[in-house]
Amino acid sequence: MSYYDIDSILTDAQKLPCTFELEVPGLGVLEGNPGEDIKAGTRIDLPLWLGEMLSIAARIGTSRLVTLDMPEALSERVMNALKADPRTVDLRALAPHFYNLSERILELFEEEELVDVLTDTFKRRAAEIADQAHNPRGAVGDGVEFLRGLDETERQLFRAAHDRAKAMRIWAGEAKRK
Amino acid sequence: MAFPFPQGIAPSEIAFLAEMEMVTIVPRQRLEGLELLGGPVEPLAPPRRASLPLWLALLLKRQRRANIIPPTWLHPEPLSLILEVESQHQDYKHAFSPPPPLPGQPSMHEPGPEPTARPQYTPDGEKYFAAPPFLPHNTAQARTSSGEVPALPYHWIEVGNMLLDAASDDLMDPDQIRRLLKDLREVRMSKMRAGVDVLDAAATGGGGVALTGVGAMELGEERGFLTGVVDNLRKIGASKEQARREQLAEQRANGGYNGTQDEEEDYMEF
Repeated sequence: MSYYDIDSILTDAQKLPCTFELEVPGLGVLEGNPGEDIKAGTRIDLPLWLGEMLSIAARIGTSRLVTLDMPEALSERVMNALKADPRTVDLRALAPHFYNLSERILELFEEEELVDVLTDTFKRRAAEIADQAHNPRGAVGDGVEFLRGLDETERQLFRAAHDRAKAMRIWAGEAKRK
Repeated sequence: MAFPFPQGIAPSEIAFLAEMEMVTIVPRQRLEGLELLGGPVEPLAPPRRASLPLWLALLLKRQRRANIIPPTWLHPEPLSLILEVESQHQDYKHAFSPPPPLPGQPSMHEPGPEPTARPQYTPDGEKYFAAPPFLPHNTAQARTSSGEVPALPYHWIEVGNMLLDAASDDLMDPDQIRRLLKDLREVRMSKMRAGVDVLDAAATGGGGVALTGVGAMELGEERGFLTGVVDNLRKIGASKEQARREQLAEQRANGGYNGTQDEEEDYMEF
């Protein structure tokens, strides 16, 4: 997570549902009607970096501006699906940076169960990724559906495993260098 | 992550490192002794065996100036024995077959008198005990003790592959050796990947995967994947770990109180 890490920047831009606690004059631009006020109780999706800042402000003494909710990607429904079978869930459709997002969320919320579910999910999927990455026919065949649903972190993992296996095959003379 | 180069070292680099392994050859031509950076090479006199670094042995082999005697483990029988241990033996269902024993390490199957390590001497006369990777694991020593279990050395994939490529006519039944090496690799790879299940314990301290006996090339191949998995599991578990540490710190802070309580209980018993 370095300053220039593009994945970290993109994670920051993911939307998070927030509820405004106070009426904010002139901020209607967030809702799509510039010039208007934002009423208390409005629900708007704000980027992670903004929502985090606004909700943390409460700790410095001022009253809380917004409250954060769990994003759709980490909702109860998704967790149940992950518990049932981690390999069939399309994480990419939920959030392109699913794991990075959940890391940030877990910093904000205390969710022991979520950690367990995610850890288990990651392990099960990592094993599947390893198998797919060593598939000598490349990413074709039955694995396509699964590989399409990988989030960005998993893609990097897949790439690491796949490149290494390929380099090995080239060295051993089993595959042609391109 | 923003670093464009692949992590770890490439297979060709690992193979390069493996080329300093010593192998046994039977020279076909005379050659004066060579003073190399890696140590002197003994003069070659045709019918006598000599130990040379693998790269030099391969060079002489290509020029048809020498024949390579395959290492003790690179024969069909020891390889199929290792493969059987790896795939059938109950004890090694989740572990890799043990690496060659160190000098001075008692053999598991022969609990006889404890062998002693033979010290070696540097050119300056200092005593030292050789350790991997500076032990000759790939020479064709005449190992007569029958209880000796065959074991895969650290550079088994590299040495095996290079000898199969360049000196297959010196090997016994090269096709079967090639097949056995491939099978061994697959068995061990799947074991390593199965280790992902216990990696979360490794990420949060405690458990882990035993990589005893894993070769250089296997490590190089799985390094990127395994470290990626551990790293991500650590990140996901970070908040839980944080909570656990806070709890521990709290317990430690309360430790004084608990201590006095115990003393009171002791006191009550009297």
